[in-house]
Formats: sequence, C-alpha cells, structure tokens
Amino acid sequence: MSANKSTSPAPSIYLDHGATSWPKPQPVVDAVVRALTELGGNPGRGAYAMALAASRAIYDARRSCAQLLGVPDSRDLLFQPSCTHACNLMLKGILKPGDRVVVGSMEHNAIARPLARLASEDVEVVVVSADRTGFVDPGDIEREVCARPTRAVICQHASNLTGTVQPIEEMAEIAHERGALLLVDGAQGGGHLQVDIGAMNPDAYALSGHKGLLGPQGIGLLYLASGFDVQEQTEGGTGGGSSESLEMPPERPDRYEAGTANTSGIVGLGAAARFLAEEGDLQRKQEAALARRLHEGVLDIGGFRVLGPPPEVPRVPIVSIVHDSVEADRIAFALDRGYRVAVRAGLHCAPWAHETVGTLECGAVRLGIGWGNTTEQVDTVLAALAEIVS
Amino acid sequence: MSQRKLRPYILFGFVTTHDALAAEEVLKKTGIPVSAVPTPSSLAGGLCGIALRIEPVDSDRVRAQLADRGIDVRAEVEMGDF
Repeated sequence: MSANKSTSPAPSIYLDHGATSWPKPQPVVDAVVRALTELGGNPGRGAYAMALAASRAIYDARRSCAQLLGVPDSRDLLFQPSCTHACNLMLKGILKPGDRVVVGSMEHNAIARPLARLASEDVEVVVVSADRTGFVDPGDIEREVCARPTRAVICQHASNLTGTVQPIEEMAEIAHERGALLLVDGAQGGGHLQVDIGAMNPDAYALSGHKGLLGPQGIGLLYLASGFDVQEQTEGGTGGGSSESLEMPPERPDRYEAGTANTSGIVGLGAAARFLAEEGDLQRKQEAALARRLHEGVLDIGGFRVLGPPPEVPRVPIVSIVHDSVEADRIAFALDRGYRVAVRAGLHCAPWAHETVGTLECGAVRLGIGWGNTTEQVDTVLAALAEIVS
Repeated sequence: MSQRKLRPYILFGFVTTHDALAAEEVLKKTGIPVSAVPTPSSLAGGLCGIALRIEPVDSDRVRAQLADRGIDVRAEVEMGDF
C-alpha cells in the first residue's frame, strides 16, 4: 500500500513485519469496523441481541484460530492481550520456586525478562547457546535435560532476529521423554510458518495476533494442552452466574480471560485466521521467495553480513543485516528519510539473540517481509541499500 | 374464569459462554429449534449468563447431541411461561 498524501506517515515500502504486520487484509479491517459499529455489547455479560452477537463473534473467532493452528479443542486456545502477556502467563503460571528450566539463547525479552524475574524467585534457568546462525541444537538441550530433573524446556519457534526456525516437534519429544514440559514462544511462527500445534505437541504455545497472523494489535493467543493445570495470573470478572464466587472458575477459556474481552481485536484476528486458511500456503511461498531474493541481493552488494542461516535454509522471512562500515541506525534512518522504507534497527528486544550471533554491540538492521510485499519492492530496497553504503 | 395454562420448555445451563454457544451451534446445525436466553437468577449459581431454551419434545435429542460432542451441560430444568 502506498502513501499518497504527504501528511500520511505511511511508508512507501513496509519491511517491519517482524514487529507488526501492515497493511492488514481488507477482511480484517472490515471485521474490526463491524465489531466497533455493530458488536458493541459486552460479550459473555448479557443475553440481549448485541451482546449475544459479540459473544458469537468471539466464539467463531476462537474456532477459526483453533482450526488454523491445529488445536483440537478450541477451549484450550486462550485470548490474551499480547504474545508477551501469553508468555508471562505460560511461565509464571507453571514455574515454581525450586523448578529448573532449560532455554535456548535466542529468546526474546518476552521470555528472558519473565525468566529473570523467576530466577530471582529461585527458579533455576539454564541457558543453552545456539550456534552463530541462531540454531539451538536439540542434542544440547537433551544433554541439559538429562543432567538434572527439569520442569520445562523453553524454546522459541522462530527467531525475531535471524528468522531461524527451531525443530519444535523434536524438542517436544526430548522434553516429554524426560518428564519435562515444552513451552514455546511462537510470536514469529504464526502465519509465517504452517503451525500445527496438535502435530508439534507442545504443552504451551504463545502467539502474537498482529504479526504473521495479520490481526490487529492488542491481541495474542496462548494454547495450553488439555488437562494441564496452569495457575491463572489475573483474577476478575468472567460474566454470568458464577459472579457470586470469589474464585476464578476452573473451566477454560474463562479461567484465563478475566475482564471485558477485546472484541474488535479478537474478531479481527478471527477474520485474519479465515483469510490465512485460504491464502496462507501461497503467502508463505511468496514470503520465502522474497526473503531469499533479499538475502542473496544484500550479499551481492558486498560489505554486508546477513544474520542467521544461509539463503537456501528455510526461515521465517526476516533478513537482518550488518554492514562492515555503516552503522545499523544510519542505514535505517537513510532508508526511512531517503526512500520511505520502514525497517527496524537496534537490538529488537532480543539482547540474548544479538549476543549469540555477535551483534550485541553494533545491533542490526532487520528487514521483515510479510503480506503485501512484492518483488519490485525488494529490488527497490536492494538498490537503496547499495546507494546508502556506496 | 378459566385458568391460563403454562407452556413448558426446557432450559439448559452451561458454565462458560463458549460451551453455551458451542451447544447452540450444534443444535442449529442439527435443525433443533433453540433460543439463547438470559440464565434465570433462580439457577444462575455457577452458570454463565446464557442459557439455551428448547422444546420438551426435543430434549432427548439435545442431550444426545451435546453428549456426543462432549459439551459440558451443568443444568437442565423444566420451566414454563404463558
């Protein structure tokens, strides 16, 4: 989508899909508008027509998301305010003082910061180093899990810095063979990867609604395996006749969804899930082709290091780059002001990952491909990069 | 003066709105007439705010359909209105 008005801050080329997707497919926009104009009642709090319509729209959205993500029972898929909130619930609702966890070194601060808090509360956190491409060797995880009783393995599905994809199914097998849980941060996985939670078999899987899943901001998801008791972290109203009790109801999803639901966010995400059910396969192919074109094109310019695996290895469509003489922030600024290309420079809320790949001091420029990007845009950005570093 | 007769109906109650709407979806797909109504305060303890009203003649089919789908029905009462 191009910006035609000079007053609009919208870029000509948007390459920050790793942070949030933009633009949104029209069905998502339409669903949000409908939620705000027609579904104003408080879902789950009344049985008048508009509240019922909102409740039904949320029910449909949960079913659509569950179907897209391979979740057998949609009650196990919880709406959360963000993937960060989902990660916090996943970690703080499960881990107790004295527990030991094994975690890879590519994690985002949505995992690293809650773990730092839990470490101060006597949870032992063992960090396993990934290699320079961001890959966490399952054999290294297995060795640590075998070394001492371990409550959980924590693993991101894909890196927000390098795009590296971790083998979640294999991690689940390793964890479960030793009686440990597998907890996954899937913020960068949803939409960009064919996420099949039922097949991967994690015990918990957190997702962002507004990145690859193409929903609005302010909505995330948390899958919890059936029958798995996790302590809720937020108490409050859940609607209906259970109001006289001061305890949260044990049933899902209500136990983990206190407070008025974000109807517009949820309904928008539901529309995005239905859109991706139709378009996701084609979209993923296009993203992979564009990411590879960008990756190889950057290397052809010269002077750049592309973080993560080589071009031929599948990744989520993130191409983070470091130049040997021009700083990351200068490149990002020049792209924005000179070419109206939106990218993100810095540490990307992932200091562990930057330390792992050797860019903690210099940061990197992240080019995040997603829905709406074209071959022409990639070529324009490559030409711009060549000019900036020339 | 003749006395008006109450027309009976069956009310199914659920713990979560999700379960109530899942049940409504199943019944609609099966072609069983169903209305979503506010849960009466007389049976609201532990139930969500949405109950499903059905005709007594359909109650056996409703029970069977919801049991087949593993939907958690927490209350079933016969009520009446004019």
